Amino acid sequence: MTQEATRQRERKEKLEDILVVDCDVHVHESPKELIPYCEMPWRVALENIQDVQEFYLDIPGFSPGTTAYEAVFPSGQEGRKMVHDAEQMRRELDEIHVDLGVLFPDHFLKIPVIAQTEYAAALARAYNAWLLDKWCDVEKGLLGCILACPQDPEDAAREIEKYANESGMVGVFLPCAGLERLWGHRQYDPIYEAAQAADLPVLLHSVTVIHPVFPFNTQQFETEFGRHICSHTFSMMANIVHMITTGVPVRYPDLRVAVTEAGISWVPFLMHKMDREYVERRREVPFLEDKPSTYLKKMYFATQPVEEPENLGDLVTMMNLYDGEDNTIFASDWPHHDFDHPSKVHQVPFTNEVRRKVFGENALRLFNMDANGNRLNLR
Amino acid sequence: MTREREEHVIGNVSDFPEGSHRLVKVGRREIGVFNVGGDFYGLPNVCPHQTGPLCEGKPPLGTLVSRRENDWRFEWVHDGEIVACPWHGLEYHIPTGRCIAYPSVTLRRYEVVVEGDEVKVRL
Repeated sequence: MTQEATRQRERKEKLEDILVVDCDVHVHESPKELIPYCEMPWRVALENIQDVQEFYLDIPGFSPGTTAYEAVFPSGQEGRKMVHDAEQMRRELDEIHVDLGVLFPDHFLKIPVIAQTEYAAALARAYNAWLLDKWCDVEKGLLGCILACPQDPEDAAREIEKYANESGMVGVFLPCAGLERLWGHRQYDPIYEAAQAADLPVLLHSVTVIHPVFPFNTQQFETEFGRHICSHTFSMMANIVHMITTGVPVRYPDLRVAVTEAGISWVPFLMHKMDREYVERRREVPFLEDKPSTYLKKMYFATQPVEEPENLGDLVTMMNLYDGEDNTIFASDWPHHDFDHPSKVHQVPFTNEVRRKVFGENALRLFNMDANGNRLNLR
Repeated sequence: MTREREEHVIGNVSDFPEGSHRLVKVGRREIGVFNVGGDFYGLPNVCPHQTGPLCEGKPPLGTLVSRRENDWRFEWVHDGEIVACPWHGLEYHIPTGRCIAYPSVTLRRYEVVVEGDEVKVRL
């Protein structure tokens, strides 16, 4: 009997019996919530907008969104769900069998579009302090990411250093939506240095915006359908290409990098496009000591929004194309409109071993923590 | 069992000034012969990438590298020692045959010797 045949006959482990680390869930921050955590004079601005009408990920002076550009029809989709406190998050994650959840913001997914550097940095500091105070709780399995403000990399590095030894903070969030200079730019070196020194992984996350920077000049699309695809997937590809071509993975060899909310099907595409380009243009990227796909394969890729091919086995094939057994991580994106219930990924015909890796074990390695969410690198 | 090596005269020293290269035909082989600073090297005229005419391009140039010791700034190195395939630009270090982009790839090297005024390829 071949090993493969033996594997096929093994009993599929139940979701309830598998460690599920959810690498992307969203807390809801609002101007009002952050007021006590925000410094002057920016606190005054938050007080001024605390009662304005909030649209989905869209508050003037806080998180400019797409509402300004189109007709705003009522919708039956419950895609406007928000999680307002840690208890609600724990309860809802329990309902979808998630053991450990890694926290990202709602509105500040698009903090890069804030034009005032000092305001953006103050918001990031307020958010980090609020997140640690109100949300991060290893006992509850709620683990935070330090928001790195791209407008002020030096300040972001200080924030990473400040929270480096907080047990509740397990990573660094690199916001991508509307980012002016892609994450490979050397202005961000202080962030990577601080993250690597703290042994905290960096996680890229985007969201839909209309903004005059690539690839967010999405005003050409009349639909969220088009904008949404570009804002997430194209943004990840642009940033990853930029990071690899400026040598981030070579210059920071111990830095762990993860990509969220872009699915996984583009990874083989990007791998082959970069390797082909490398043949011709190595001298433009002399940082690289090996072909680009080598570095791409060392990054981690979150499943959500998971592709849903008719034959779910195609997902296994796509993962195999980038040797994804050890670097694919589960994410639900709870509570956002396009979240994935773990039962969907559970249907993918993995072996039990690979299923356990994707649902939890790979994430434990990414965050260097144990199955209870305890960081193994606290000093 | 060692095979007797063949020697083929491919020209006069004056045919290969320093910094130049020429394509010569030895039997069915096309060999690029390079004079790098007075040292002679022979490489096959076939790029392993897509069989491009590797040695038919411009005279040898240098290339760019970056190193931590220099804060990852670009540096121009191996001046006069790099041949780039005219098709896709894949670069090789002439003295060693090493592919710059893929260090695991090394070209076959033909021994080129100068005896008197004659330049010979040993197969």
